[in-house]
Amino acid sequence: MGLISGVFMGMIFGIALMAGWRHMMRYRSTKRIAKAADIKILGSLNRDDLKKICGDNFPIWISFPVYEQVKWLNKELSKLWPFVADAAELVIKESVEPLLEEYRPPGITSLKFSKLSLGNVAPKIEGIRVQSLKQGQITMDIDFRWGGDPSIILGVEAAMVASIPIQLKDLQVFTVIRVIFQLAEEIPCISAVVVALLSEPKPRIDYTLKAVGGSLTAIPGIADMIDDTVDSIITDMLQWPHRIVVPIGGIPVDTSELELKPQGKVAVTIVKANNLKNMEMIGKSDPYAVVHIKPLFKVKTNVVDNNLNPVWNQTFELIAEDKETQSLIFEVFDKDIGQDKRLGIVKLPLIDLEADTPKEAELRLLPSLDMLKIKDKKDRGSITVKVLYHEFNKEEQLSALEEEKRFLEERKKLKEAGVIGSTMDAIDGAASLVGSGVGMVGTGIGAGAGLVTAGVGTGVGLVGSGFGAVGSGLSKAGKFMGRTITGHSSKRSGTTTPVNSVQENGGAKPVQ
Amino acid sequence: MGVISTIFGFCGFGVGISSGLVIGYFLFIYFQPTDVKNPEIRPLVERDSETLQQMLPEIPLWVKCPDYDRVDWLNKFLELMWPYLDKAICKTAKNIAKPIIAEQIPKYKIESVEFETLTLGTLPPTFQGMKVYVTDEKELIMEPCLKWAANPNVTIGVKAFGLKATVQVVDLQVFAQPRITLKPLVPAFPCFANIYVSLMEKPHVDFGLKLVGADLMSIPGLYRFVQVANMYLWPKTLEVPILDPSKAYRRPVGILHVKVVKAMNLKKKDLLGASDPYVKLKITEDKLPSKKTTVKHKNLNPEWNEEYNFTVRDPESQAVELAVYDWEQVGKHDKMGMNVVPLKELTPEEPSVKTLDLLKNMDLNDGQNEKSRGQLVVEFIYKPFKEEDLPKSFEESQTVQKAPENTPAGGGLLVVIVHEAQDVEGKHHTNPYARILFRGEERKTKHVKKNRDPRWEEEFQFMLEEPPTNDRLHVEVCSVSSRIGLLHPKETLGYIDINLSDVVSNKRINEKYHLIDSKNGRIQIELQWRTA
Repeated sequence: MGLISGVFMGMIFGIALMAGWRHMMRYRSTKRIAKAADIKILGSLNRDDLKKICGDNFPIWISFPVYEQVKWLNKELSKLWPFVADAAELVIKESVEPLLEEYRPPGITSLKFSKLSLGNVAPKIEGIRVQSLKQGQITMDIDFRWGGDPSIILGVEAAMVASIPIQLKDLQVFTVIRVIFQLAEEIPCISAVVVALLSEPKPRIDYTLKAVGGSLTAIPGIADMIDDTVDSIITDMLQWPHRIVVPIGGIPVDTSELELKPQGKVAVTIVKANNLKNMEMIGKSDPYAVVHIKPLFKVKTNVVDNNLNPVWNQTFELIAEDKETQSLIFEVFDKDIGQDKRLGIVKLPLIDLEADTPKEAELRLLPSLDMLKIKDKKDRGSITVKVLYHEFNKEEQLSALEEEKRFLEERKKLKEAGVIGSTMDAIDGAASLVGSGVGMVGTGIGAGAGLVTAGVGTGVGLVGSGFGAVGSGLSKAGKFMGRTITGHSSKRSGTTTPVNSVQENGGAKPVQ
Repeated sequence: MGVISTIFGFCGFGVGISSGLVIGYFLFIYFQPTDVKNPEIRPLVERDSETLQQMLPEIPLWVKCPDYDRVDWLNKFLELMWPYLDKAICKTAKNIAKPIIAEQIPKYKIESVEFETLTLGTLPPTFQGMKVYVTDEKELIMEPCLKWAANPNVTIGVKAFGLKATVQVVDLQVFAQPRITLKPLVPAFPCFANIYVSLMEKPHVDFGLKLVGADLMSIPGLYRFVQVANMYLWPKTLEVPILDPSKAYRRPVGILHVKVVKAMNLKKKDLLGASDPYVKLKITEDKLPSKKTTVKHKNLNPEWNEEYNFTVRDPESQAVELAVYDWEQVGKHDKMGMNVVPLKELTPEEPSVKTLDLLKNMDLNDGQNEKSRGQLVVEFIYKPFKEEDLPKSFEESQTVQKAPENTPAGGGLLVVIVHEAQDVEGKHHTNPYARILFRGEERKTKHVKKNRDPRWEEEFQFMLEEPPTNDRLHVEVCSVSSRIGLLHPKETLGYIDINLSDVVSNKRINEKYHLIDSKNGRIQIELQWRTA
């Protein structure tokens, strides 16, 4: 009797113990899971959540900007800056110098850093935004601002003139850096990093140029040449959709996905323009239009003399890399002796176009793309264009890529052969170099008039290539004369002199 | 009878309890699912105030404390990266564990041990606030508030004696507040030499450990034993060296003697007559300008026999660049050819004569390099410094060094390090330098041109017979006009008197002082009292 009741009692006790244990397990498990869910939510609170939690006692020091503030990072950065600056100087010098060489304008034979120190004002990160725009990629936008006091001295050598040290002062950089991390399933989990500057808002890079122990006037147009070089490097290398791809961590990855490549082709027909502004004292403007997607590949129409309603009806093909962010930029200039004046500019975002559907549009010309700069509301006329966007398939893409490579190669060869001074100048740069030489001698002996005539004389270009080029060398010289710098400093800014400035002041541009 | 019945009763209870446990185990625990589900996450807005109340203890620190910064962008980054990180970590863990297991199991007569499942779950670690401290030392201090409430599923299957048992880890939770110190800061990437990690509070660690399906951690009392992760509780630290600080400072480690002997068969470059060659020498990764030999006029086989010395900082990566140029009276000098000799090709202390073929550039694939441009004969000797010659290796700024041998007894060495100043401003010019006056002795730092926030980082030493208990140190920031003979040749931007008694008792003081007679100026001065 005792045995049975003992067994019975024992079984009940044992089962109860197990049941209790299970209860305990469940209790702790649910508690942990609930906590995990809480923690997860608390890792990404937004304004409404916080309002709900805190009620009326909402902490006033909290705000939720689009770009999240990183005060702690800035504190650390300012502390770390002297050391970063020291370490970065060598790296920058070694990586940027070849670039300067590549983009060196004609008329300058050597462009090197003779001194580079980043100063003691640390950059500031205004905010960081993280998003995932594509599977397997993390996109990080960094709002970067630097009003630094670096001391950068460029050693500039020009033909016939000894080396001049030129100082870049009061550098200011305001830009949004986009960093894309390509993820991988191996430590360190990032196979490649893509760096670019967002084009919207446009990167702003301001600086002052100053000749050390001399005057900038020693080499005519030097200030603008440097401005253009810096500007082209930035727009052409860094500004989105252009990017720098850095593979990381020794994982063999195919980064070709990340590289920028031709995505489609735009056939643009510039039909006509209406009601253009008259810029000439005598007669009417002599308009021509320039269109580009990338500043390195510009094309232009013929000049129509003495007409405010010109009809061009010329068709060009341009390569587009990124339909989402790139735009067609149309500019209309007045061909003039000396400086060509810009009659208007207008932008047509590629995203507005439908693939393989022709579109005709009449676009109102604006004085500038920067809305802040537009002061007068005067009508500047309009331009009528026909646009057809064609998306490449695989083979077409490859052939377009080859074509582009071949074209750049050709330029490089020409450059090496000494025909043109730098890759920045296209095929007709040859003519402009000759011109610039003349121009420089002209200024050297103080005969400014000779320059203008030299400028007109350089109108030997190549139409067939379709890539109208910018003879920046002489145009610079011409611009310089027009502006007459008295002091030796000139304030430049990325926004006021975008690449278009070349066009804007294309005084002695070879024009067909 | 009663006694026997009681004994039987106890025996029966014993049998009953064991069979009851087994039945209960199979009844309640064995059939529990072992897979881990994703927790259901309900948006906060949908919750009622009661569940919100339960959440309050876990609320992020950045909500509660203004000195913590929100790092939700980092959380988002981690969240997006987590699936990849999870796979990568698990893969690495498996690879590391495999050989260890293979080595260990024969000892314990176990047939096999293997991971049945291994995943860290879908929930990434989150940072619920970040706080940084700014000190005057060369260090960065960060205190992230780390909370990782994960849903991992780690199942290890053990087979032994024909039986199989599984151990499963679930619901791992680690909440910790580590202090991460990066120091010392050095001028080479990644800009710090060591990482020190230490835990400011006891971390909260919780998890479920299921042995054959039963969670051991839910046995009351057992949970307490887990809280032993106190290894790195402050002030104990975990040190992770990143790079050798002495290397980061790139101190000279040796001297390279280069003798440019001669060149042969150079190509003619000038239109009239032969070329006028000279050689430019440069050592890579050095900021010094290149050195030039004399110009040998009208000579295609010039002999120079000129010697040059370079300081070497890193023989592994540095190289000597030699380029032959053609001198011109007017215009640019033409490059006739070049070559590069990496220092690692040289044996220390051994002279080596090299005959170098001149190349157009260092691009191996360039066809133009096949053209002969002549040869250059150069002699190299690399002499590394002896250990004792080496300048004192990197000194820890935190520890005060011993005074040198010849210090008088009772005396010591007073070291004044002038680090930097901020917001110093002169009326007419701001080219600041610091002037130190101590017992009539005057020392000066170098001038920094046109700068409101100069950095000097200069060290001055005063040998003293007795501790300077009643002395003062007078530090003055002055500015001298860069132009000579103007109205305002010299200006004082501010000064400070520092009592030295504190230094004697503390051995080391590193502080920012507000300058007197200056608007906002501050100066950072480090004082050390080194005794024998």
